[in-house]
Amino acid sequence: MTFRAQGMRAWLLQRLSAIYLGIYILVLGTAWLLNPDLSWQDWRGFNGHPFVAVSTALFFASLMVHAWVGVRDVLVDYVPHSAVRLVLLIGIATLLVAMAIWSSFILLSVVRI
Amino acid sequence: MKFRIYRYDPESGRQPYIQDFELQEVTPGMMLRDALLKLKEQDETLTFRHSCGEGVCGSDAMNINGTNGLACITPLKSLKQPVEIRPVPGMPVIRDLVIDMSQFYHHYRAVKPYLIVHDPEPEVEYLQTPQQREKLDGLYECILCGCCSTSCPSFWWNPDKFRGPAALLQAYRFLADSRDQAMGQRLEELEGPYRLFRCHTIMNCVDVCPKGLNPTRAINNIKKLMVKDMV
Repeated sequence: MTFRAQGMRAWLLQRLSAIYLGIYILVLGTAWLLNPDLSWQDWRGFNGHPFVAVSTALFFASLMVHAWVGVRDVLVDYVPHSAVRLVLLIGIATLLVAMAIWSSFILLSVVRI
Repeated sequence: MKFRIYRYDPESGRQPYIQDFELQEVTPGMMLRDALLKLKEQDETLTFRHSCGEGVCGSDAMNINGTNGLACITPLKSLKQPVEIRPVPGMPVIRDLVIDMSQFYHHYRAVKPYLIVHDPEPEVEYLQTPQQREKLDGLYECILCGCCSTSCPSFWWNPDKFRGPAALLQAYRFLADSRDQAMGQRLEELEGPYRLFRCHTIMNCVDVCPKGLNPTRAINNIKKLMVKDMV
């Protein structure tokens, strides 16, 4: 079986991205809880660290992939009309790509290289 | 005991409707199938499939108070009145509680529910260790009543493309069989976004299976085999 096959690949990407999203949220949440008095400077400094920035970039990438597979699944189930489905899929893809670009701009503006 | 039963006769030209029935002589231990047979004496046009009467043939699958089940092993005393009986959902109705199972059987045939062996036939029987045989438990018992597939929303939305829990359980029954030699081919045929991957682990199939089988687990095992096959 080749990796080009869609059903398996989509399913696997959804699972793997879910694991990464879970770990990221858990680690970041714990970091927040342990440091409740973070100032804006600390917060910016933390996010400017290249390791944190790369992890956050991966988080957004995973989020987009996860959302794409999930929404595509919902549309495949509930929108049988193929033209309507195509328009919706293009709309959602555009939205997700726009959000990915936007989040990478934000990350690039805070990261210290 | 009060019953509300879905009636439809395409030859009459009348829209489907719900008919009220009342059964006076309810005996202890009576099953729903027995009650339906009594009701058929009241109105002989009432039509439903049934045969063995003990949950083996899988003919009398119907929607009982909103849940799919076999009439012959559903005790009357477990049912809330009025008992509402409809054909299993999502399939074309031929008449009253009788549905057209063609699509269901099409999916069953499509998973090639038989051993595929490429080696020359052995002189003796195909042998299995007890451990290999154990892997088929919980898979081979399926009676193809269709309760699971017709309770599955993914099957309702894509009945022509999604194989459905019953066919996928059988697909795994042969994937798990140590004697079968077509694992790659079987997995390949289940690829794509529809045939297998419309399953979103809703688990209605597990909930309704009259034989207590678990198609969701079988589907997950197929996915695991695919991952193993891929890496």
